Amino acid sequence: MREELRPKLVGARVKRVEDPRLLTGQGSFADDYRPAGMVHVALLRSAYPHARLLRIDTAAARSMAGVVAVFTGDELAEAARPMVATSKMKDYRATAMPMLARGKVRYVGEPVAAVVAASRYIAEDAARRINVDYAPLPAASDPLRAAEASAPLLHEEVRSNIVLSREFARGDAAAAMAAAPLRVGARFRFRRKAVLALENRCYLGDYHRGRRELTLYSATQVPGIVRDALSELMAMPEHLIRVVAADVGGGFGGKASVYPEELLVAVLARRLGRPVKYASDRLEDLLSTSQAFDEIVDAELGVANDGTIAALTAEVVGDVGAYSIYPWTAALEPVQVVSFLPGPYRMPNYRGRVRGVATPKAPLGPYRGVGRPVAAFVMERLIDMAARRLGIDPLAMRRQNFVAAEEFPYRTGSGIIWDRAGFAECLTAVRVALDYDALRRWQKEARAAGRWIGIGFASYAELTGIGSKIPAAPGMPVNTGTETATLRIDPSGSVTAIFGVASHGQGLETTLAQVVADELGVRLEDVRIVQGDTAGRAYTTGTYASRSAVLAGGAGKLAAAALREKVLRAAAHLLEAHVDDLVAEGSRVAIRGTDRSLSFREIARSVYLQFGRMPPELQEELEATKLYDPQFGTTSSATHAAVVEIDPETFDVRVLRYVVAEDCGRVINPMIVDGQVHGGVAQGIGAALLEELVYDGEGQLLSGSLMDYLVPSAAEIPPMEVIHIEAESPTTLGGFRGMGEGGTIGAPAAIANAVTDALAPLGIEVTELPVTPERLYRLVEAARRKE
Amino acid sequence: MKPAPFAYAAPRSVEEAAALLAEHGGDARLLAGGQSLVPMLNFRLLEPALLVDINRIAGLDGIAEIAGGLRLGALVRHRMLETSPLIASRFPIIAAAMAEVAHLAIRNRGTIGGSLAHADPAAELPLLALLLEARITAVSTQGRRVIAASDFFTAALTTALAPDEILTEIELPDPPAGSGWGFAELARRAGDFALAAVGVIIAEAGGICRTARIAMAGVGPTPLRAPAAEALLQGGTLDTGAIAAASRAAAAAAQPADDLHASAAYRRHLVEVLTRGALSAAVARARKVVP
Ligand SMILES: Cc1cc2nc3c(=O)[nH]c(=O)nc-3n(C[C@H](O)[C@H](O)[C@H](O)COP(=O)(O)OP(=O)(O)OC[C@H]3O[C@@H](n4cnc5c(N)ncnc54)[C@H](O)[C@@H]3O)c2cc1C
Repeated sequence: MREELRPKLVGARVKRVEDPRLLTGQGSFADDYRPAGMVHVALLRSAYPHARLLRIDTAAARSMAGVVAVFTGDELAEAARPMVATSKMKDYRATAMPMLARGKVRYVGEPVAAVVAASRYIAEDAARRINVDYAPLPAASDPLRAAEASAPLLHEEVRSNIVLSREFARGDAAAAMAAAPLRVGARFRFRRKAVLALENRCYLGDYHRGRRELTLYSATQVPGIVRDALSELMAMPEHLIRVVAADVGGGFGGKASVYPEELLVAVLARRLGRPVKYASDRLEDLLSTSQAFDEIVDAELGVANDGTIAALTAEVVGDVGAYSIYPWTAALEPVQVVSFLPGPYRMPNYRGRVRGVATPKAPLGPYRGVGRPVAAFVMERLIDMAARRLGIDPLAMRRQNFVAAEEFPYRTGSGIIWDRAGFAECLTAVRVALDYDALRRWQKEARAAGRWIGIGFASYAELTGIGSKIPAAPGMPVNTGTETATLRIDPSGSVTAIFGVASHGQGLETTLAQVVADELGVRLEDVRIVQGDTAGRAYTTGTYASRSAVLAGGAGKLAAAALREKVLRAAAHLLEAHVDDLVAEGSRVAIRGTDRSLSFREIARSVYLQFGRMPPELQEELEATKLYDPQFGTTSSATHAAVVEIDPETFDVRVLRYVVAEDCGRVINPMIVDGQVHGGVAQGIGAALLEELVYDGEGQLLSGSLMDYLVPSAAEIPPMEVIHIEAESPTTLGGFRGMGEGGTIGAPAAIANAVTDALAPLGIEVTELPVTPERLYRLVEAARRKE
Repeated sequence: MKPAPFAYAAPRSVEEAAALLAEHGGDARLLAGGQSLVPMLNFRLLEPALLVDINRIAGLDGIAEIAGGLRLGALVRHRMLETSPLIASRFPIIAAAMAEVAHLAIRNRGTIGGSLAHADPAAELPLLALLLEARITAVSTQGRRVIAASDFFTAALTTALAPDEILTEIELPDPPAGSGWGFAELARRAGDFALAAVGVIIAEAGGICRTARIAMAGVGPTPLRAPAAEALLQGGTLDTGAIAAASRAAAAAAQPADDLHASAAYRRHLVEVLTRGALSAAVARARKVVP
């Protein structure tokens, strides 16, 4: 068989190799590690949004049986430096995040004191016996209020609650807007959302006094970033620090930052010389894991009468919470809203301004889609508003304004570059899958029968697999643009492939093995993927920003190709053949056109065990390390369609149908891509209809448990149809594009448009998400009053 | 999220359990399905010194026919109510409502006694007890007494039970012959506590409404009846006009409050919508238009 025609693992629906372990309860999550002598931490967290810490009395807690130690922020002041997320961004004011609060607290849930005890039960009992004298300070929980000059300051040293601002501009947006025959706009609001991974955050610090080595078992997406941070904050060389993220139960961005609790267990383990575990419970998770969205966007779109977009302007206020998350900074989410707002559309004139405002809430951080769910919500709503006013079909209006095939690479209004991508192909595929004209006819009939049916679309583009030329967060000094793979073959002929990425549910042990096995010419079962552990890597960050398939896939491909050359060279010697006549396949190397072959095992044994007999130029280990840097990154895109029905009396919203056509370039494993889309869309539906972190005017979290913070369950999620458009990426090795986030980007916008479409007879525009029955009730009441 | 320390006892009889309650007074708590109690312990909203687990007391989980009704033991699980043929034939409204309670795993554990004693204002079983005019038996070392459902729910999460009393059984008198029922609720997600729930029983004779009962939950500190709405229907014909008027009257009788999930105004609106739906369904059932 010709090599090109061999069945490939890349592209096949390979079952996830990690699933038997995970589904039978044999995973090793951070909380599963229980080294001898381990003690537990419970945290006393602030009950006040903003207060001065006067006195912390820990005597009663200390004296309880089973309590090992109790610490306050002041007592650990020397143990580690505070975390400061820096940025080269011009108008960014860096603020420090303490490990335990010192001087004052800045949000409800901020860690104030730590109890170390023999069990978590005892630690919690003791934490309740710590007495703290708080002197409450005024606080502005509403970001617009907090942005005012007279608002109480959270961080006095930066003299304003506006901790960042930035502007993007192209053309003359003001003039083009003034000249536009049609202008549509609104104040859009996407409320604060929790990240909510299934596994709560959990950290276990283990310090070996004899070797002075620190191991941190962490439920993190970014073991590499955590290792670098611990080294710097604790003043330890990195070769003494290992961060292990073996199995991680979901991250979605909430585990992509370095947390005070993570630093705390490391510090306590070093100080106490015992393994120290902190396992967050769900209440703490809702209070203190980084949060998402929460932007107010005043946006306007100027359109010509034929539907051509002329200009877009936006003013964004982002509520970034009390601290600037490490290392991404508070700028990550709100700045990304402005930079992605123009979407996949030709945008001659754009002006987007953003301000990030500190408020007494848990810090805002990365969340699946970062900025783009909000950007897509706003842009896609504006498109529909304009289309409706002009009497143009919403799909036609999108298609007409898409960056066209001949315009790639296209620089967007904010400077992002779209490489060749399948914008139009995705839209067409959705149209066909829906049988769109028939669907609209059905909608008309259903409406005539009194049903409120809506059809909504969202098209978006995102930048994935970002290389070293652009920081993943604005002005961030950390390099997130490279990934290194080390592949080695041992004497048994089996392959170990070591990566710096950290799978937290994506199935990287499967997809990376597919890529490596294909390139190396071995069977899938002969490849073991090592990831989620800093031990094997000089420099690494982790898994976030839809980077792993592109970057680690690319590095794996390069390293596999280099290793294959070595294997073929050795085999050529052993088989007395020419390298060009050899082919590696199914863990064997054969002389093309003959029945002579050697297994990888035979080759490896010869190389290692009869080393002396190999010619000097072949005396090398079967190992290769390659770094991959996609330089800029690649465009992923999709069109989503939602069909919803609203109960005309109760305003309950049901999603009847959901279709996604997405372009993530070459699909490594369609089953995994489907799973990523399904999960992302489910989160997006939650964001659109249910999920909201509600803080009161003072900064108290009202939706602090899963009784009040509502996530969708299977019953709320419709079946989904997913169509894969594999537009080749000209910019990445293997043609892969990132696809871990897209579902969450498209779904809120599609649902918002579908709900608006269902309400079209009443002239209601959905401008606030989540759009709950309560909000719909108020919108409908207001519309009826107007009539 | 760990409970404070507590002691645990698992008595084998109601007498033993009652004795433990008498001994420990307000410091002891009964543990039935644990689906409401255990979260409250973990949140440390309750810190009882002793948990008295009644799950091992025999004979508390029966559903039995009695003259003119059914008797349900306190340990009858939600799932038993949902699937029992006896319930399906005698009180189909209970089976229907149980499908709206929580999720299967919770319904497998949750008990009727626990739900009534817990008295969540939005819970279905308290609403049904009020609607079906249940008689609730409480036992303590002092003896036994029977409490009418209408006297049982006194405030949010508060009942007429004394701290040393055990709810042992519930008697449900059969609704009037030929009556129809309706039940409607809206929850944010499948299995959530209702934003508002309405149950109705109506009976007609000769085209005239003889019995009309309307009860609602989620719209007041306790489940509520809507006597004015019931009065509007009784003695009249059950046409759309009467149903609409009664639904408005039910909404007026609601005492909703604003919370995270819904405003009082929206809840009141829901009561009207749900009552209309439940009454229409009940009329159709009474007239055998639907089963
Ligand atoms: C996620 C979730 C969703 C839920 N959704 C709903 C819903 O939609 N609708 C709904 O109605 N309920 C719902 N519930 C509550 C569930 O139905 C509970 O099971 C029920 O309310 C309490 O029953 P239990 O047997 O578990 O009581 P327990 O939790 O064991 O006890 C509750 C209280 O009653 C007391 N008690 C228990 N038995 C007796 C007795 N025999 N005599 C005196 N006192 C007693 C206990 O001391 C305790 O104070 C939900 C629960 C959960 C966890």
